[in-house]
Amino acid sequence: MAVSVETVTAFAAPRALRDFWRRYRRNRLAVAGLLLVLALALVALLAPLLAPYDPISTSLDSLQPPGTSRHPLGTDDLGRDILSGVIWGTRVSLLVGVTAAATAVVIGIVLGAVAGFYGGRTDALIMRLTELFQTIPRFVLALLVVALFGRGLAKLVLVIGLLAWPQAARLVRGQFLAQTSSPYVDAARALGLPGWRIIFSEVLPNILAPVIVLASLDVAQAILLEASLGFFGLGDPNLVSWGGMLNQAQAYLRTAWWMSVFPGLGIALAVLGFNLVGDGLNDAVNPRLHE
Amino acid sequence: MKVIGRILAALSLAVLLVAGSAAAQPGPQPGGTIVMALGADPETLNPGITTGYAVGAITANIFSGLIRLGPRGEVLPQLATSWQVAPDARTYTFTLRRGVRWHDGRAFSAADVKFSLEEIAGKFHGRFRIAYANVESVTTPNAGTVVIRMKTPFAPFLQMLDTFNAPIMARHLFAGEDIARSPRNVQPVGTGPYAFQSWARGDRVVLVRNPNYWEPVYADRLIFRIIPNAAQRSTALETGEVDVVTDFYLAKTDVPRLRQNKNLRVRFGQPIPALDFMFINTRRGPLASAKVRQALAFAINREQIVAQAMAGIARPARGPFGDGFKYAYTPEADYTRLYPYSPERAATLLQEAGVARESLRLSMVFDAARAPLAAAAQIIRDNLRQVGITVDLVPLERSVMIDRVYTRGEYDLTVQSFTSNTDPAIGYHRIYLTAPAGQPFVNATGYSNPEVDRLLALAGQTPAVSERAKIYAQVNAILARDLPTLILFDEVGVDAARAHLRNLWQGLDARDAWWLTWVAK
Amino acid sequence: MGIIVVNFLLIALAPGDPVTVLLGEYPAPPEYVARLRDQFGLDRPVHIRLGRYVANVAQGNLGFSFAYQVPVVRLVLERLGNTLLLMGTAMTLAALAGVLLGVAAARRPHSRLDTGATALSLVGYSIPEFWLGQLLVLLFAVALAWLPAQGIRSTREEYTGLAAALDLGRHLILPAAALAFRYIALIARITRAAMLEVMHQDFILAARARGVEERRVLWRHGLRNAAIPVATVIGYNYAFILAGSALVETVFGWPGVGRLLFDAILQRDTPVLLGVLLLVSVTVVLVNLVTDVLYAYLDPRVRY
Repeated sequence: MAVSVETVTAFAAPRALRDFWRRYRRNRLAVAGLLLVLALALVALLAPLLAPYDPISTSLDSLQPPGTSRHPLGTDDLGRDILSGVIWGTRVSLLVGVTAAATAVVIGIVLGAVAGFYGGRTDALIMRLTELFQTIPRFVLALLVVALFGRGLAKLVLVIGLLAWPQAARLVRGQFLAQTSSPYVDAARALGLPGWRIIFSEVLPNILAPVIVLASLDVAQAILLEASLGFFGLGDPNLVSWGGMLNQAQAYLRTAWWMSVFPGLGIALAVLGFNLVGDGLNDAVNPRLHE
Repeated sequence: MKVIGRILAALSLAVLLVAGSAAAQPGPQPGGTIVMALGADPETLNPGITTGYAVGAITANIFSGLIRLGPRGEVLPQLATSWQVAPDARTYTFTLRRGVRWHDGRAFSAADVKFSLEEIAGKFHGRFRIAYANVESVTTPNAGTVVIRMKTPFAPFLQMLDTFNAPIMARHLFAGEDIARSPRNVQPVGTGPYAFQSWARGDRVVLVRNPNYWEPVYADRLIFRIIPNAAQRSTALETGEVDVVTDFYLAKTDVPRLRQNKNLRVRFGQPIPALDFMFINTRRGPLASAKVRQALAFAINREQIVAQAMAGIARPARGPFGDGFKYAYTPEADYTRLYPYSPERAATLLQEAGVARESLRLSMVFDAARAPLAAAAQIIRDNLRQVGITVDLVPLERSVMIDRVYTRGEYDLTVQSFTSNTDPAIGYHRIYLTAPAGQPFVNATGYSNPEVDRLLALAGQTPAVSERAKIYAQVNAILARDLPTLILFDEVGVDAARAHLRNLWQGLDARDAWWLTWVAK
Repeated sequence: MGIIVVNFLLIALAPGDPVTVLLGEYPAPPEYVARLRDQFGLDRPVHIRLGRYVANVAQGNLGFSFAYQVPVVRLVLERLGNTLLLMGTAMTLAALAGVLLGVAAARRPHSRLDTGATALSLVGYSIPEFWLGQLLVLLFAVALAWLPAQGIRSTREEYTGLAAALDLGRHLILPAAALAFRYIALIARITRAAMLEVMHQDFILAARARGVEERRVLWRHGLRNAAIPVATVIGYNYAFILAGSALVETVFGWPGVGRLLFDAILQRDTPVLLGVLLLVSVTVVLVNLVTDVLYAYLDPRVRY
């Protein structure tokens, strides 16, 4: 979010990977976050092996409370196993989170780099565009687009990605403005290197660290956004997602609390994991803030 | 001796009756407020131009019809005190109630009736318009009499003159106006037991007692609370924040819990028939084959749908028109006999039809906001998966759903529901009749069978129930075999109210006759 | 302006016909449908409709709601008050609790209190507000039955004056808490960081050296500076808070702008949709502007 980006911009120069890892490791919360993310990724990868049932398979055992050996987390209104749903939901959340964040970051890097490198009118135009995108809450726009043009995994990724890029663009542009006036870019220019080569081979590697920090925070945001859309019934209807499960749970809040609690826990853990990693990365690349 | 015995018996019976009523509640008590829950704001407060459910719930208390329908569907006087129907069912003569005034103080007269039928309900009301197509003329020999002449007899015509189909509106407020955009549509003035007071959008509509109504009106105020979430409506009922939740707005999945609550009264079987069904797009590939459609009927577990999507409160379908109208039900065409749940027989039929099941991929379109239909769609997806058919769920917003299903016909399967009050000709025939393209809420399957069209038209014009049963037997035989539409279940109406309300549900429609209900202290 | 055009085209090009939603579930007469379409101007080509809409907006006219048949401006303003009440309460709550927590944590970095506060804020920051809302309803409305689960005021009683305010307050607690939680976490984190930074700066050291009481230093000098991040967090996150409010309003049946927007999407009430989106954009721009001004006003480099 806004704050993390601000703190990130204070980042100065590239450091060796080992150094970086040493600093990251010192931060216990960050390590916990990393473990959490890795565990979730493992669950997502192994979902077909881990889940006791097919998550869309209905049965006549509906609304079973948790705690039985057949259904440790209970079943929903159509007799589907909640544990299996939570496991498969990990897959959707991580997939959407990571790909949407990647989309956003790639678009952001390209536009931010172009704006920062060329400046002038191009810069003004792109900045106007980011402002335009930032005046309407992302969630509201995503809600509108998905509701009107239809649901689906690819659409979700695209919408979330397309709406999240301005942050990355602003960050990259800011870095570029700082970097383009630096001696090594001047030197590259003097050597007659073309613009895109300077961007990609000279400047980008130097600003990658803050972008990675932003990316991991973006993943958390994207997971949250996907869950919010799912909660409004706008997730991919053919996949089991945490947000979608919460949507279904709304109607059973009084009769089947387990339909709401476990998928929500999944969202909270995933978002927490990526936020912790993002914070940890941020502290590691920017030790000044780490007291 | 015998005579004396009879007198004694009669006397003791009378004593019993008196004792019984004395021991029961003290009589009707005026005062208090009745709060009803709605799921959405009404789209207008003019019941003459829409069939919307929330609109009817509010305006049935503000406006009156010529007649009203009692708890068992009997025709009772409302704005008309009496009527004669000519033996050929072509002329209806109504004598109007005297001394009725609009809420703004103006006198009500036959001119209002003529105007409302001709200019408002006859033109704009989705259901009444169907009945009105049979009307030749509406005349007013004097201010207290209305005569309606029919071009062709229409069996359920008299029943269609209630406030839900032909509400009587004030001519002096609408004449010369563009009815669809009249400011009166949000500032209603009626003749009914309650007058409009206020509407806070998204929150509530408040009505107050009409002191000039011709019968006693008990509760001082009716408040309609808008609570979009169905589960929250049930909770509001349990906490006493709301007194009444009517069928359409009552989450069936909460009913088992509500029944346990001593402070609530839950009644089943409100006799307004509604069918939930699945249109099968007969224009699409393998679905053009009746055999494939029959296979779907075998593959879909309708009892599971009833048990889970409707919490058991519905009747698994018994035929092409369900079993809500006895004369439209035919034992020989009973689905439970013809198409019991059997994935094996479905598989066999698909094989016979030469369909490669693994490559069969069907889209299932439904209105995302209708939770029971969404649950049914998910069960159907899983049922069809068991026989190797892949179903892609396509939940859509209402306007987009209408566009996809009815305007463009871009779907394979879709779950929908239609109601049909008083007669299957009003609401159910359209499931099967050959339909003009692009018209919402008619037959969207592309199925067109001249024989079916002919028989259904005949059924609509035949007043005698036994004759109609024979016609329906013929149609049902065809429809149960062709299966352009698979009926899933008959809805069972359920209404719930707080137990301190007395004399509940005095109309056929649970939204009607609230002036007769009082609040026990 | 750009926003208006983008929104308009987005909605106009989407499939689905707004008129169909208004007709109930029986086939409607074609003349009526045609008349509605004419009334809403839907029978004209998109560019003409767009031109007309922009011209109207320029005159402060946001059109007429399809679904409610009242002017959009009136409808939106009716709901905006409720949303602002919810957001305002939530943010006041978030600012108070967040600053308190942040300052407490910053006083003794790495103490148990600090770790606890950090952990709490991390968790709070990761919980989706709609799920938190569900949990709050489960606990306080269903299990304990202390507070109402939904709505904005009681139905039966006609409260006035203080009683009405108290009634409103009871309905406000749960949704405001659900909305505030994330921002308590965020503000606590930032307050802590800002305080730590400030406490090492010269003017604080100078104040300490002058023998100013520690508590006084903390609250008087430190907190003044913490006001900046708090104001900016709320200011620059306004768009997110608004989105969160839309979610919370849905969980609690709160009749605010968020729910109006969601209903408008369901009913395809284009004028209301456009109106809400416009209003949201305008307030975002305004709030950002105010935040910029406030920032300049509060900036220590200006003050000291």
